Amino acid sequence: MEILNYTEDHLKFRERVRSFFEKEVTPHVDEWEKSGITPKSAWKRMGQEGFLCTSVPKEYGGMGADFLYSVILSEELVQTGHTGLAAPLHSDVVVPYITAFGSEELKRKYLSPCVSGDMVTAIAMTEPNAGSDLASIQTSAVEDGDDVVINGQKTFISNGINCDLLILAARDPSMSDAYSGMDLYVVEAGTGGFEKSKKLSKMGWQSQDTAELTFTDCRVPKGNRLGTKGGGFLMLMEKLQQERLMVCIGAVASAERLLQDTLRFCGETMDFGKPIAKLHNNRFKIVEMATEVRLGRVFLDKLVADHMEGKSIVVDVSMAKFWTTEMAMRIADQCLELQGSYGFCESNPMARAWRDMRVLAIFAGTNEIMKGIAVKFMGL
Amino acid sequence: MDFNLTKEQADIQKAAREFARGEFDPDRILEWDHTEEFPLPIWKKACDLGFQGVHFPESYGGQGLGLLDHALIIEAFCRQDSGIGTALGLSDFGAEMVIAHGTDEQKREVLPFLAQGKGLLTLAFLEEGYDLSTFQTVYRKNGNGYMIGGKKSYVTLAGTAQYIVVACQVESGDPEVQSVFLLTRGAKGIEGESIGEKLGMRMVPMQTVSFHRVVVREKDLVGQEGKGSSYLKEFLHTARVEAGAAGVGIAQGAFDRALDYARKREQFGRAIVTLEPIKNKLADMAVRVEMARWTVYRAASWLDQKKPEDRWAILAKMIASKAALEVAHDAIQIHGGYGYMTEGQVEHFYRDAKALDLFMESGSIEKSMLGDQIAGRV
Repeated sequence: MEILNYTEDHLKFRERVRSFFEKEVTPHVDEWEKSGITPKSAWKRMGQEGFLCTSVPKEYGGMGADFLYSVILSEELVQTGHTGLAAPLHSDVVVPYITAFGSEELKRKYLSPCVSGDMVTAIAMTEPNAGSDLASIQTSAVEDGDDVVINGQKTFISNGINCDLLILAARDPSMSDAYSGMDLYVVEAGTGGFEKSKKLSKMGWQSQDTAELTFTDCRVPKGNRLGTKGGGFLMLMEKLQQERLMVCIGAVASAERLLQDTLRFCGETMDFGKPIAKLHNNRFKIVEMATEVRLGRVFLDKLVADHMEGKSIVVDVSMAKFWTTEMAMRIADQCLELQGSYGFCESNPMARAWRDMRVLAIFAGTNEIMKGIAVKFMGL
Repeated sequence: MDFNLTKEQADIQKAAREFARGEFDPDRILEWDHTEEFPLPIWKKACDLGFQGVHFPESYGGQGLGLLDHALIIEAFCRQDSGIGTALGLSDFGAEMVIAHGTDEQKREVLPFLAQGKGLLTLAFLEEGYDLSTFQTVYRKNGNGYMIGGKKSYVTLAGTAQYIVVACQVESGDPEVQSVFLLTRGAKGIEGESIGEKLGMRMVPMQTVSFHRVVVREKDLVGQEGKGSSYLKEFLHTARVEAGAAGVGIAQGAFDRALDYARKREQFGRAIVTLEPIKNKLADMAVRVEMARWTVYRAASWLDQKKPEDRWAILAKMIASKAALEVAHDAIQIHGGYGYMTEGQVEHFYRDAKALDLFMESGSIEKSMLGDQIAGRV
């Protein structure tokens, strides 16, 4: 009995995605990694193929597809060995805020270009002085007539340079309570006072444009607020569950890919007169790794099933986010170890994977925050 | 049992630390790490001030100090910057083999040259894999001298070094007969090709070096013919202690940065250093740093006393390179998103720790060496 029931349509979708990635993404990955950004044209192609925002309802131009389509896309993206074409971030993390909380007008205006790839999205929560402590954000949104005026700075924003549309967390400075004073606004790139101030250089995710954003008297219509006033923090708390689940999917799929590549390497590579897969201390190591990856997969699939049934996954997804990301880092580390000196060569795709894995334990809520949430909801 | 450094050692440690603090410019570090360049000007200055080759005999341009003194300098340099520290530590890779077994002429030619900052030495020993019991790089008798052919992998700084020590195996006869030669890097028939970008230790560019009918004089032989394998084994113990010292420095440097950041960074209305999970992490990190440090010091002192047992050197590299990796990993975590950014510096320590961990041999190879030794098969 499978935990997840993939239909023929799902399998066909997976085939289509895989073949598209093999033809149009994987061959360009090294170039994108070097240039530190993934071209907009690739996003546009994704849209043309119908690979973006598959969950958006048909009436707004999407497929109205179930969550398994998102899972498939995320898993196949991992096979490309890069992270820059961050479709899961766009489709399954950012756009759902508009679908779930946007006014009819916002949905009519923005969902269709998000589906087509004409608009790439990002979400901005973190600030230089507010990371794990999300409630302490200082970016302010002050009402002025029909507009709100935004001032502040955001950092470590994925898709920060490519984004055409941003979901921005800001607070009403007149509200003393940090939680009920927080709102989310949809801000278009090019709006006066919204500056993509700096592209950041980082250890991994090098084809992904991570940026610092600055807002100086940036004016957006009040109608760009999502949900009812003061609801920002709760919306984030709700949608962060799926964001973390997306991280788990990436972590488990990456660990599976690394393990598979390493098994092949160990079978083909000789040392001490035999394939290194035959060296005894490696054999147990390989079994230990395979066991961890399998545990991760079973845990993940069950979580996906629960999420699709609409169950509350807050405790499980917090546990899974810290465990699967740490598992993926361990696997990446041990895979390099098995490859010896070749492990540190950048010509080896696993070296990039090792650099890429490290951030999984940090973004979408650090693993320490995950443990804090889990323990709180366990009633302790 | 006295765990204190001598006055002289404490002075060396302090001087190396001050030098590193004053001279290792963060902007140049980012640049060298990015472009994969050996930090030539810093190395020159370190030589001018007598930090390189302190453990060489005084008669050959050194200060006649021990491996422990040398290790303290490597540690201090790596603590300030993992890239510069490992690069300077490998600038005279193989020198201890020349000191132990080279002829007077070889020592007079090479050692002062290294200590005075005139050039670098490297050692070509690895091929594909970690198995050192048999080499594809071979030598044969050629008139009064020899001729060498073959290929060596992962040769550190081979594009910069003027001298190269090469370990090879006799072409015909007993495959266990290995010999070591000291050559100039520019000798006819020696060619290097970059192995390409690496994830860490980027200030130590490496090459695959091929030897095509390289004609070698008899006087280029290091020590006795056929003793190469034991020279290499003995040398690698020294190299492990040096790598261990680098590991201690990297771990300490990452720890310093994490502690500093945790004190400054405020979240939830207070410095994060006051939060229990952060304090616990710092405590775990401190445990690893101290375990590594005292194992490395012990191993260095053991070799300085010419004790034959080689377990400590393996322990030193194993414990210290893992400490560097784990502490730098945790240091990134304490820095959060900033830790993943190049600007935060700790990601550089983490990458260098990983490269150090895989350099020469991996932890699992060390574990099996140690296991063999404990079980009594070596």
